[in-house]
Amino acid sequence: MMRNRFPEPMRPALVFALLLCLLLAFDGALFIDGLARRKAEYATLAQLAVVTSGLGLTDLAVATEARYTRHPAVSDPVAPFMDHPGAIEHFPTGAFWLPPSR
Amino acid sequence: MLIELSGVSKIYNQGRANEVRALSDIDLGVEQGSMVCLKGPSGSGKSTLLAIIGCIFPPTSGRAAIAERQLARLPDRFLTLHRRETIGFIFQRFNILPELTVLENITLPLLPLGVPPKERRQRAQELLARFAISHRARFPAGQISGGELQRVAIARALINNQPIILADEPTAHLDTALSREFMEIMQQLKEAGKTIVIASHDPLVFEHPAIDRTVTIQDGRIHVP
Amino acid sequence: MAQRNLEKQLNILDYALSSLWRRRLKSLSVLLVFAAVIFLLASFQMVTKALSDKAREVLVHTPEITLQKMSVGRQEAIPLAYRDRLAGIFGIRRVVPRIWGYYFDEVRLANYTVMGMAVEEMPDGARLDTALASGTMPGPAGQGLVAIGQSIKKALALEGRTTFSLFRPDLSLKAFEVSGEFSPDTDILTNDLVVMNLADARDLFAIPAGLVTDLCVYVANPQEIDTIAKKISETMPSVRVLTRPQIQKTYQVVFGWRSGFGSICLLTALAAFVILAWDKASGLSPEERREIAILKVLGWQTSDILVVRFWESVIVSGLACVVGMTAAYIHVVYFAASLFRPVLMGWSVLRPDLHLLPRLAAGDILLTLAFTVIPYLAATVIPAWRSATVPADSALGG
Repeated sequence: MMRNRFPEPMRPALVFALLLCLLLAFDGALFIDGLARRKAEYATLAQLAVVTSGLGLTDLAVATEARYTRHPAVSDPVAPFMDHPGAIEHFPTGAFWLPPSR
Repeated sequence: MLIELSGVSKIYNQGRANEVRALSDIDLGVEQGSMVCLKGPSGSGKSTLLAIIGCIFPPTSGRAAIAERQLARLPDRFLTLHRRETIGFIFQRFNILPELTVLENITLPLLPLGVPPKERRQRAQELLARFAISHRARFPAGQISGGELQRVAIARALINNQPIILADEPTAHLDTALSREFMEIMQQLKEAGKTIVIASHDPLVFEHPAIDRTVTIQDGRIHVP
Repeated sequence: MAQRNLEKQLNILDYALSSLWRRRLKSLSVLLVFAAVIFLLASFQMVTKALSDKAREVLVHTPEITLQKMSVGRQEAIPLAYRDRLAGIFGIRRVVPRIWGYYFDEVRLANYTVMGMAVEEMPDGARLDTALASGTMPGPAGQGLVAIGQSIKKALALEGRTTFSLFRPDLSLKAFEVSGEFSPDTDILTNDLVVMNLADARDLFAIPAGLVTDLCVYVANPQEIDTIAKKISETMPSVRVLTRPQIQKTYQVVFGWRSGFGSICLLTALAAFVILAWDKASGLSPEERREIAILKVLGWQTSDILVVRFWESVIVSGLACVVGMTAAYIHVVYFAASLFRPVLMGWSVLRPDLHLLPRLAAGDILLTLAFTVIPYLAATVIPAWRSATVPADSALGG
């Protein structure tokens, strides 16, 4: 009867372990989804390979305004080094700031 | 003798500019099952004496044997081990952690002993039932009344079934009724075989019939009238 | 004994958890701020890793050797006649001339990448149709036909329409018809492309006959790329010779630099957080001092109290790490790193839809752990030694 008066709460360490398990299970689900995505990515990777070799591409189309990335044909040898041969451009598109608007 | 002090002195900050001599040449013996009151104004060295009996620190010189263990030169770690087996503390203002529940407060001494939660709860429940505060077990200690708080503090001092109970000015912040109740409980504990040392300058305490002996401390020495 | 010891550690863990819970508002805010810092750091790491991995995988197929003519330290059009001089070098399998450049659309303020080449001469050129969402690649005969990427279609508002015009340098208009459209799946490469045949590109950019921008050279034996590149540059000193390994290496270096730069910025945030944590942990409030003194008198060893501190820090930083990294992964994979798009893409007008899938190795996770959890632990547990200086007798009054 004593026990009834004090319903036994779970010990905090156990609650924490359960929480951690829940988080890790969620991460596991993400991982499984990641595997499926990886599979899909392999399919597109074949397409990307065809595009790269078929067009002779040399860069990702991520920073399209960069002076030196998209293709070496439109760059000169010092372009990636901007003002000084040692100063590599921080970001492919040149700066944090937008170009002046017209 | 459960508590045996002979020639005990305590000097704080020995060898430094702020050296303070808190106790000199104390001889004191307390039999098992007796109740002793340490009386004296604040700053008399009462608390220091209580700390030595309570195995919080060893004396600077002299011999102190608590429950048949010599404290001198005992490293801090072993003092702690010895303390938690032998001494139950009741503090001035009870020193309860207000955010913890009553149950958590009472079982604090059991945590480092590796007592599992179930056993902890059982032991606490027995004490709570004994002091008629079972209904407060899940309350934050900051929300219960002064009388209940006092009983919680006593329960905490008993949780590990320690043979010695030390109380430091337990009635200093209590009204007369609660002080009386406190002494009644102490008397019961004494009758149950506990050895009790109370530091107090409250007449309600040192004039209580259950007190076997009153020791007056003055300027760090035992005062013999 | 071992059982007791384990139970003791669990008890102390319980105590640490309940004391975190008691200060839940404070603990939660520390956890969230820390998780946010880890989130930024890990997101950035994952984005750059996913991108550079992708680049590495894809750039395996770049032309083996690219030739450009250099004059006055700048790149300029290369005469087609150079092909004849290459003919003398043994081991060259194929030379494909290209006109490749940017077309700046003044209306939409976007750069289009225009490629004029005979795609059927390229390796895999015949299979390019498989990468199209619809239509076919423009052939050598098809006048004014182009294959375009998704962003070009969007920029030119070509929905339901297949013709558009671009300006020649003299501002006369040249009409084009869309014959094919690259699949959105290949956006990361084809997003900004306008592919046409050599003649159309020459017409659009008004490049004189007999000149192209570069020559792609393919060799018979890929092992000999460097040898043949060397031979070419000896034969034609005015020509810049770019080899596939060079391009790959440069690209990875640039990526490494970019991610390094970003990481340093973010590590500053982390350092600030750790300093804050240190500052907070190194001062003991009166309540904390009181709690420590009480615990000590009640039989807790100083080491037990330190273990409580340790657990509190491990729990906060460990949870922050798991939450932060999970959020970072979701951000990168499911939201295409939308927070970092401006940083990654700058003011690019044409932006591909990114499908990023970082490949997380145990090493990367450990690295993030080492840069976040360990400094936090050091900053919070080391000052906890101060709790050892709280004398137990301070719990006794007067």
